[in-house]
Formats: sequence, C-alpha cells, structure tokens
Amino acid sequence: MLTNFEYAKPITLTHAVQCLAEKEREVKILSGGTDLLVALRRKQVQPALVIDIKGLKELTALTYTPGQGLSIGAAVCVNRLAEADVVRQYFPALAAAARVLASYQLRNRATVGGNICNASPAADLVPPLLVYEGVLEVVSQRGSRRIPLQDFFTGVKQHVLERDELLQGVFLPDTTDATGATGATGATGATSATGMTNVTDVGGLYLKQGRLKGHDLSIIGLAARLNAAKQFRFAVAAAAPTPLRLFALEELLNAQPFTPALAELAAQAINLYIHPISDVRATAEYRRHMAAVFVRRAVSSLVTAGGKQDG
Amino acid sequence: MSDHYTVVGTAQTRSEAWQKVTGQAVYVHDFSLPGMLHTKILHSPHAHALIVAIDVTAAKALPGVKAILTGADLPYLLGLYMVDKPILARHKVRYQGEPVAAVAAVDEVTAERAVGLIKVTYSELPAVLSVDAALAGQTLVHEDINELEYIKGAFFPQPDSNIASWHQTRRGDVQQGFAAADFVFEDELSLPQVAHAPLETHVSIAQAHPASNRVTIWTSAQSPFSVRNLLAKAFGLARADIKVVVPFIGGGFGGKAGIHLEPLALALSRACNGIPVRVKASREEEYNQLPCREGLRGRVKTGITKGGKITAMQLYFDWDGGAYADYSVNVGRAAGYAGAGPYALDNIELHSRTLYTNKVFGTAYRGFGHLETHWVIERHMDLLAQRLQIDPYELRQQNLLREGSLTISGERINANSGRVDQCLSAVASEIGWCGYRSAAERAAGIARGKARGKGLAVLHKAPAMPANTATGAIMQLNEDGSVIMLLGATDMGQGAYTVMAQIAAEILAMPLDKIKVSGEVDTDHSPYDWQTVASKYSFMGGNAVIRCAQDVLRQLKATAAQVLRIPVDELAHANERIYHVQHPEQFVTYQALAMGYTYRNGNAIGGPIIGRGTYLAPGLTNLDDNGQGLPALDWTYGAHGAEIEVDIETGEVTVLKIASAFDVGQVLNPKLCKGQVIGGVMQGLGSALCEEYKYSPDGKLLNPSFTDNKIPTAQDTPREIVPILLENPQADGPFGARGVGEHPMISVPSVIGNALYDALGINFYELPLTPEKIALAVAKLARP
Amino acid sequence: MAKHVITCGINGAAISAEVDSGQTLLEFLRGELSLFGAKEGCGEGECGACTVMVNGRAVNSCLMLAVEADGCEVKTVEGLAQGGKLAILQEEFVQHDALQCGFCTPGMLMSARALLDRTSDPGEEEIKVAIAGNLCRCTGYLPIVSAIQAAAKREREETASE
Ligand SMILES: Cc1cc2nc3c(=O)[nH]c(=O)nc-3n(C[C@H](O)[C@H](O)[C@H](O)COP(=O)(O)OP(=O)(O)OC[C@H]3O[C@@H](n4cnc5c(N)ncnc54)[C@H](O)[C@@H]3O)c2cc1C
Ligand code: FES
Ligand code: FES
Repeated sequence: MLTNFEYAKPITLTHAVQCLAEKEREVKILSGGTDLLVALRRKQVQPALVIDIKGLKELTALTYTPGQGLSIGAAVCVNRLAEADVVRQYFPALAAAARVLASYQLRNRATVGGNICNASPAADLVPPLLVYEGVLEVVSQRGSRRIPLQDFFTGVKQHVLERDELLQGVFLPDTTDATGATGATGATGATSATGMTNVTDVGGLYLKQGRLKGHDLSIIGLAARLNAAKQFRFAVAAAAPTPLRLFALEELLNAQPFTPALAELAAQAINLYIHPISDVRATAEYRRHMAAVFVRRAVSSLVTAGGKQDG
Repeated sequence: MSDHYTVVGTAQTRSEAWQKVTGQAVYVHDFSLPGMLHTKILHSPHAHALIVAIDVTAAKALPGVKAILTGADLPYLLGLYMVDKPILARHKVRYQGEPVAAVAAVDEVTAERAVGLIKVTYSELPAVLSVDAALAGQTLVHEDINELEYIKGAFFPQPDSNIASWHQTRRGDVQQGFAAADFVFEDELSLPQVAHAPLETHVSIAQAHPASNRVTIWTSAQSPFSVRNLLAKAFGLARADIKVVVPFIGGGFGGKAGIHLEPLALALSRACNGIPVRVKASREEEYNQLPCREGLRGRVKTGITKGGKITAMQLYFDWDGGAYADYSVNVGRAAGYAGAGPYALDNIELHSRTLYTNKVFGTAYRGFGHLETHWVIERHMDLLAQRLQIDPYELRQQNLLREGSLTISGERINANSGRVDQCLSAVASEIGWCGYRSAAERAAGIARGKARGKGLAVLHKAPAMPANTATGAIMQLNEDGSVIMLLGATDMGQGAYTVMAQIAAEILAMPLDKIKVSGEVDTDHSPYDWQTVASKYSFMGGNAVIRCAQDVLRQLKATAAQVLRIPVDELAHANERIYHVQHPEQFVTYQALAMGYTYRNGNAIGGPIIGRGTYLAPGLTNLDDNGQGLPALDWTYGAHGAEIEVDIETGEVTVLKIASAFDVGQVLNPKLCKGQVIGGVMQGLGSALCEEYKYSPDGKLLNPSFTDNKIPTAQDTPREIVPILLENPQADGPFGARGVGEHPMISVPSVIGNALYDALGINFYELPLTPEKIALAVAKLARP
Repeated sequence: MAKHVITCGINGAAISAEVDSGQTLLEFLRGELSLFGAKEGCGEGECGACTVMVNGRAVNSCLMLAVEADGCEVKTVEGLAQGGKLAILQEEFVQHDALQCGFCTPGMLMSARALLDRTSDPGEEEIKVAIAGNLCRCTGYLPIVSAIQAAAKREREETASE
C-alpha cells in the first residue's frame, strides 16, 4: 500500500491544469506511473494529490501530418511508438529507442511524457527526440508555451517545468520535406546534396548498451540521425547529468566530406563532448569506450545508407 | 538404460504442475491468518558500529503498533555450526542491512511509519571489507570469537581473529611433489558475493499459542526440520512443541536452508500474546538483510611435469563469509575435501578459511562452494595447459580421478563411482573441441569484430552433510488401493515428489497416478528429513521410498499369504495384485488388502497398510585433522563444454552452445533431470556474466535491487543448451541413481572463462565476466 | 485514505468495488478479490511476477493503481482455464516442464497469453523479448520458450480447423 493521497482523473485539460494550480498541497502528475509508483513506494515523493492524465484526449493522441511532423501526446505509451508505422518509417531512431526501453509489459504503461519529465540522464526516448529536434508543448492555467527539448533539462532529475505546468506533448518536425531543412534550431538549412525535392531522412538509429541483453537501463544510449541534407544529428543518454545533444560533434562531422572516414573521426571526437561518470552500473571508462563504439557504428551505417541513396 | 523399468526413467510431468499453471498453488507469500500482524524492520545503515542507544518511545505510541523488539529483548544466539548470530543486533551491528529493531503492527503502513520513528544512536567502527583486511585481523567482526559456541571437531575458529573456521587437508608431501615437478605455477582467482534471487522472497508467519509452549510456523523454507531444531535450541523449546509447515516454495537455491526470519516472527508473536505475525522480506531486504553466496579468493600453486602430470598442489581458499558464519563455514569445510576438483592428487595441501567481514553474510547456494572452487581450479587447469602448451583436454584427462584413484580425503574411487573422464569426452565431442585455436585464428576473429572460442571444464560434487544424515518416508494405502506418501523433504520445483512417486510406483508395480505425495511438509505429520539441500534427496529419499514401498509389499504379502493360503516366498506382485508365482489366477488385489482383508461374513484380517522406510547414509565419517575421512555419500561428476561468441567492441558474450554432461548413474526422470540442467546452467551463466554485490568504500551495498543486481532474462539465454546424461550406476543409489540438483551450475563460469581465452587470448581472473570487463580488456590489448 | 468506487471486468465478470487510492492493482487482486495467482516478486516493475492483462495488454500490476483499472477488462491467470479444463497454453507449460517452483508462472503465462493474442506465430526472438520482463530463476527459460511455441502452433491448428 502506498501512502495516503487523493486521486483525480480529469477529462478536460482545463480541469487538469486547474488541479495543478493548487498551491497548498503537493500535487504529482501520474502518467504511466512506472517511475512515479516506484518513487511513491520508496517514499521519495509523498504527494497529497495525484492527477492521472491518461483521461485527457489531447495527451493520448499520436498524429502525423505529412510535411509538418509528428505530434506525440505526453501520455502516449512507449509500445505505441514502437509499433506505429509512421514512427517506424519517419522517425526510426525513436521507434528503435522505444523498442529497447525497459520490458515489454512496462512499455505498455510507460509514456513519452513520463520519460521526458522524469528527467533521468538515462532516459532512452530523449536522445532520439533530441535528434529529431523535438519541441515540447507545455500548458498551465497561465497559458501555454513551447520549449525546445534541448533547453528542458537542468540537471539530474531536474527540468524547467513550473509546478503548475503540464507537458502536453512533444512535436517533431517532419523528416520528409521539400528542402531538407529541419526547421528547428541548429539546422543549417542546407539543401539536399542530391537536389531532389521531397526527400526524407537517410536514416536514424538508437544504440543502447545494458549490463545484459534483457531489459536494463542504459549504460549508454546513442541516437544518431542523418537527415536529407546529409547532416548528422547526435544525442546521448547516460553520458552526462542530462541527456545531451552533441552539437559540436555534429558541426565537426557536417563540415567534413561525406565519406566512410567520418566514422573514425566521430569515434575519436565524441569523448570531447560527453561527461560520463562512474556509478554502480558502469565506469566512466566503459561509457566513453562505448560512446566511441556506438558513434562509429552509427556513422558507418548511416554513411553506407547515404552512399547507397546517392548510388 | 532404463528399458527394464516401467516408471523409473520415464519423462513424467511434475505432479503439482496443474496447481502452478492455474494460480492455485499456495505459497506462504499468499498466506494470511485472521488478525495477522505485519512486520517492518529497522536496518543498520552502517557496516560496523556500536549501538549506543535505541529509543522506541515515539514508535510505541503510534496507534496500531502491537510490539516493538530490539536486540535487548532477545538474548538468543543462533547458528547452525557457529552459534554467532543474534535475532536482532545486540550491542553492535556487523553489516549494513542487519536488523536492529522490528515492529509488528496492524498493517504494513503503520509498521513502516513506526520504524521511521525509532531513533538509534550508533558509534561507527572501522569495517572489515576485504579478505585481506579480515586476515589482517586489526579489527574483529566478532570481538567475542573466543567465547562463541560451535560444533567442535568439525569447525575450527581461530582465537582473536576473523577466521570463523580454518580447514586443512594434507595428503602426501607437497614439498617433495614440488621438487619432483618440472615447473611450479601459481594463480590467483576470485569472485564476488552474489544473490540467490528466488522469485519468492523469504517470508515466515509465526503463532505462539498463548499459555503454552506450543508454536506454529508457516515458512518458505527448504528445511522444516532444521527450522524446528534450531528454533527449539535457541528458545529452549521441546521439538514436539514446534510445528513447522512448509507449503509451496517459490525457489530456494540454498538461501532458504537453515533458519532465517522464523525466530523473529516467533519472538514478535510471543510479544503480541500469540497473535500471528508475518515477517516478509522485501526484494531489497532479500539482498541486503538476508544471506547471499559468499565471495572467494583462491590461490593455487601447482607442481607439474613437462608432460602435464600434476605432482603437487597447494591451495588457499579464503572465503568472504560476511558478518555471520551460517553455512559458509560448512562451505569452507566442503572445499576441504572437494576444492581441488575431480583430480587425482597424490600431494596436496589445502587451506580453506571462512572469514568474517562486515558484509552481508554468506550461506549455502546451489553448488555449495563448488562453483567458486571450480572457478579457481578449472581456470587454473587451462592456465597450466597454456603455459605448457598442451591441450587442456589432454591435461585434464591425464590427471582426472579414475577407478582406483584416491580423493584428497583418502576415499578410493571404484568402478561404481561414476566417470568424469566420460563426461569430459562427451562434452568435448558435442562442441567439436580440437584444441585451442591458433593465434592467427584468434586475430582473425578479433578483426571480424566477433571472436569465437570454445572451452571445457569438469566438475564434481558430493553432498555436504553430516555423517549421520537421515531421512524417512511413510506410505498409506487408501481404501481404493491408491497410495498417499508422506515425505519430510520439500519440493521447491526440483521435482522431488514426482520422482519419489515414480520410485514408489516402480517398486509397488502400480500406476503412477495412483500415488500421491502430500504436497505440504508439516513437522507434526511428515517423517523426518534432515534438510532439503546438497542434492542428496533423490539418493537418500529414493532409498527410503524403496524401503518404504518394500515394507508395504511385505505387509500386503503377509496378509495375502493368509488369504490365498500360499507361503509368502511363493508370492509375487504386479498390476496392483499379489499372486502366486506359478498360478497368477490365484491373486488378491492391493485394494482388497488396503484396510485389512474382509471375508464375506465380515470377519477381517490384516489391517490398514502403512509402510515406513528410512535411510541413513552408512559408513560416512567426520574428517580428521588432516582432512582425511569419508564425507561423501556419492560423487556426481560432470563436465561442461561451451562455444561462445564475443562482440569485441561491446564485450558482450553470446553463448552459442553449452553442453553439460553428468554421470547421474540412472536417470530417474529425463524431463525433470534436463530441467535441472537447463535451469542450473542458466543460473551458472548469471554468476559467470553479470551477477555481483557491489559495495561502497564504507561497506554499503550499492545494488540491493533487481534494477542494479541483475539476473539473466530470457534474452540472455544460450542459443542451445545440450544436457547429456550418462548412466554408470551407483551400486547403492536408488536404481543406481545419483543426485544432480546443484551440479549444472558448477564450472559454468570456468567454461566461459576458458572459452574467452580461446576467443581472445585474454585470461580473466575475476568474476563476473561483464561486457565492461571484456571490452576494456580487449581495448587494452589493441592499444600499443 | 481516499476511496474510489471502480467498475471493471475481472476474468469476464463485472465487478464494482471500493478501493483506496494508494492501492496497487496487484494488492487489489490479491487482497480484495483473493486472486492470488499474480505474485509480488519485487514491487518495482523488474520481475514480472505480477503480470496481468489489462484491456488485452500485459502490464505489471504492481506499478498500476487499482483505481486506474476503472472501466478496464482485467485478466489474470485464474481466467485462463475454462470449464474446468486447462487452456492450451497451460497444457504446454506442463508438458514442456516450463515451470519449477512455479512462482513466476502466473506472470509468465499472462505475458505469453498477451503475446499470442497479438501474434499467432511468434518467432523465438519475439517470444524472448515478450517474456524478458518476467524473471525466472529456476527453468533457464528455454523450456518456457518451447512451451509458448508449441502452444502457438496448437492454437493456430485449432483456429484453422474451426
Ligand atoms: C523496471 C523498470 C525499467 C525501466 N527501464 C527503463 C529503460 O530501459 N529506459 C528508460 O528510459 N526508462 C526506464 N524506466 C523508467 C520509466 O519506465 C520511464 O522513464 C517511463 O517512460 C516513465 O513514463 P511513465 O509514464 O511511467 O512516467 P510516470 O511515472 O507517470 O511519471 C514520471 C515523472 O514525470 C512526471 N510526469 C509524467 N507525465 C507528465 C506530464 N505530462 N507533465 C508533467 N510531468 C509529468 C510525473 O509526475 C513523474 O514525476 C524503467 C522503469 C522501471 C520501473
Ligand atoms: S512485482 Fe511487479 S514486476 Fe516485480
Ligand atoms: S519456476 Fe521458479 S521462478 Fe520460474
């Protein structure tokens, strides 16, 4: 039995944010509960009110609009991402991460919003959401705001949300567009190398290392994406106090000729940009080693894919 | 081999399976009694500290709290071999996680809240956290070691030290042996503590009946009679006053042998005027309060000729036994007669020291020290072969125990003892062993990114048990001629009851489905069994059941002789009938005899048929000062052969195939036997690849959860596990059988370590062989 | 503790019950409904012993509040055998000796059931992924994988012959 709290399941966003605005009592949002229930059980949090957000239809929608992008409700569960055709096709790194997060039954409960808001350095969905340049949509009684995902985390288990704010969803700009530009910050806006219109991402992947092959938290996770303009995007989990987009590494690679040699370059360079620690799961040394291994593998596979596309 | 038996040797499904697949099987985990109270425990946050003061006032005042106990209330010490363990810490704490106080309350929430209100003042002491620190003895874990009670003659605590027991084995003359050697090589290998991780955590319910000495205990325990025995000793109760009931058990693996939560539950129930109290371990407590498998550092020095004949061996096993001796002193003792592996060693000196440290304490774990000692020995054999540049298969074959060899405790191996050499050749041929691969082949594998390697390792184990270990069986014929059998051993899923029923069916010549084993052990009703440990039950229980069934037959025949007016020696039995050997048409059915044979006029003779059978291992002895004697009921030999593939970048090992051969004497049930092998191999792979207790520098367990103390999942299975069961019968085993419950785990880490060398040319000396360890070792190799 | 009335289907039967907000679905099933099949092996989502099906999907009932089951269809191991007869999946578990101590078995069966409900012909790897969240310390998993494969085959044959 968990400690005493009140439970509410609003069915409108207005009601939900109203509940959240309550000042006197400690309020906690319940999405899939796979982090929250563990925290409640361990008495790490002791809210007076728990608000279940799975009744909000705005938060449970997963919609893809060609040319615009993918809108993922915060309460969409991980298996839905893993299984959805649009995600697998257009956001393969995200689908890949969704497939290796926790165990099958846990993925039926765990949600995207929970993974983001739990703000674990090892959150598996965050690196892919970073390489797809996700933008968070946040609501409160005071209104709504958009936060680029890369500006969201402030430390281990810490983020910029105010206590009355609710993450409504995350928006990923389309990976299929006419220019090859990717909309959000950091994009170079370069046109595609082939000059074709309506091109798509070359590819994306997520590589995760655990202590065993079955379900485990990431010792290190790397999302890599090569967009239509043959620009790399990288982000890592469990390699710093927060999941990290590796802008500097991207710049380094994107400035070079597009050849297989990029793989080794990335492997040599990645460790300049990550700050892993040693803990009970792994040493910093192994994390660094694996970051290099993964980025080499990722770049090499994406370069091959890019080369094939050209060929 | 089993064509001459009808039920023994057949692949019967386990008798209780239907209860388990429907959710009907009831474990203590599922039990509750009216009014039952719930317990929460306050644990020591320190590895080693004096308890200066405990204040329970605020906790006591909380509504719903029924009893609070601290060490001061419980002046008892418990222990199987060394009587060293308080129920709740007294005066000082010896490991982080040690119970300091316990609250019984109306529900868990209240109990937990009360625990939060207990204030303890500690004064920290330096902690003993390694084998070296324990041996140095600067700080004593048990400052009163000189006064502790223990079983004299079997265990050897050393005064003013952290050595809970020091066993020594000496045969021949090692100095001469080393002198006769061409080379002398030394190695050091080690492995950390690991968890049993049964899926059902420890749980006990006790009811101390008020105004009497009578107590009832329901517990998830392997050894109900040991629980009764130790409780009686500790609390000064008569054995007959204690009733211990064990229903289904959700896994034990040694961790539920002996006595654990029962005394606390009993003390709390007493403090609550006999209201039943449940003590149930959380998963975290399962890791940091309840015992684990001890760690080991092994040092071995071997004299060997150029040709690979071992001339002498000197071994030091230093066990990281944790805060209390529990079974680990007996693990240390078993290493004294089995720790050198299944080899013929004329000159041996072996020291096995179980050390006290300020860590979670060690206990029995499937394999009882043999996985650990074989990690040392079986890696060392490969290391010797590498140095001599001979095939490790040949090196082993040359030195293995064979008919006529003496074990290191001086037991002569004979034609019926089983054949380790055959086990080794069986696995070698199964994996296609043809010597280590060449350096060039190795380099090619590494260059490919996926390096393959093969390895071999042998093993042996005998039950580790007192020389006078005994068991019993009772059978009663029911009115319909079916049989109900009572046994004192528990069935944790190893299938003991199914196999015992098969044995009974074979002897009684009746259908298996007419024999039912009572599925719950109750010390008030069940016949005695020492403990369900040590892979001895098929052997001992089997023999007791044979005798019990023969007793039933004897009684049936005695009455049948009167009914049929035929002398007993002319009676035979089959198809649930007793009949005349020459004229089978003159018969009487078991059913007609079950409750006594009744004539037409109502007159009856005979009586209810109730059989009994016991077995006490004959001829076993204690070990003398040089570790010589006859401790082994039977030796089960085995070998593993494995082929693995290593991702040389991530360090991940994929087991492509693992072949496991055991000389089981006679397969009693191939399905269950193979199940033991597959499950045991997998558990061994856990020890090999990922399992490990990790401590902070000040002795706090860092990974007391499945989150960070991983056991293998379905995705971590080998591609193929090939059980191979050899049948060289044991003359005194039931139908020739030997035990095999623990053996599949043993030497699995060794075979993986050996295969890793074959794959990478790198020797690993410490378990577990994690991706991290492997990848970083490979990376180092690559760096100039 | 705040109370809530929930209405849900349990193994096909509609029930209405009052639950505490802090009660997990696992506690509710065991404590209130006396359905002891689902077990608690860790209470933290790691072991899968508590696995049940909610609206057709396998979930860890230790990480779900009982109130969250309001309006849902819950299926537990007790709901597998119908009409006093073991289901095919259960029979194959018995046949393949896919259980020893049996503590993981109810959860394992529910993960397997959910898998076979979404794919009638799962591959070996797919099965392993589907049950990787169900720890078993006894069997070494391989007999469980075989049992699920055999059950899938029999179920396919049964559907084909219908
Ligand atoms: C056994 C186990 C294994 C796991 N393995 C992994 C793994 O491999 N990889 C991984 O990344 N994670 C893993 N996790 C962690 C967890 O499952 C994921 O982080 C999951 O995505 C959390 O989602 P949830 O919906 O369950 O979150 P919840 O528990 O519902 O919420 C998590 C936190 O976020 C807050 N929150 C939730 N939704 C919102 C919202 N919309 N707006 C504002 N705040 C919100 C909650 O208040 C809470 O503090 C594991 C957890 C367990 C128990
Ligand atoms: S009890 Fe729910 S996953 Fe372990
Ligand atoms: S059968 Fe014991 S845990 Fe699976």
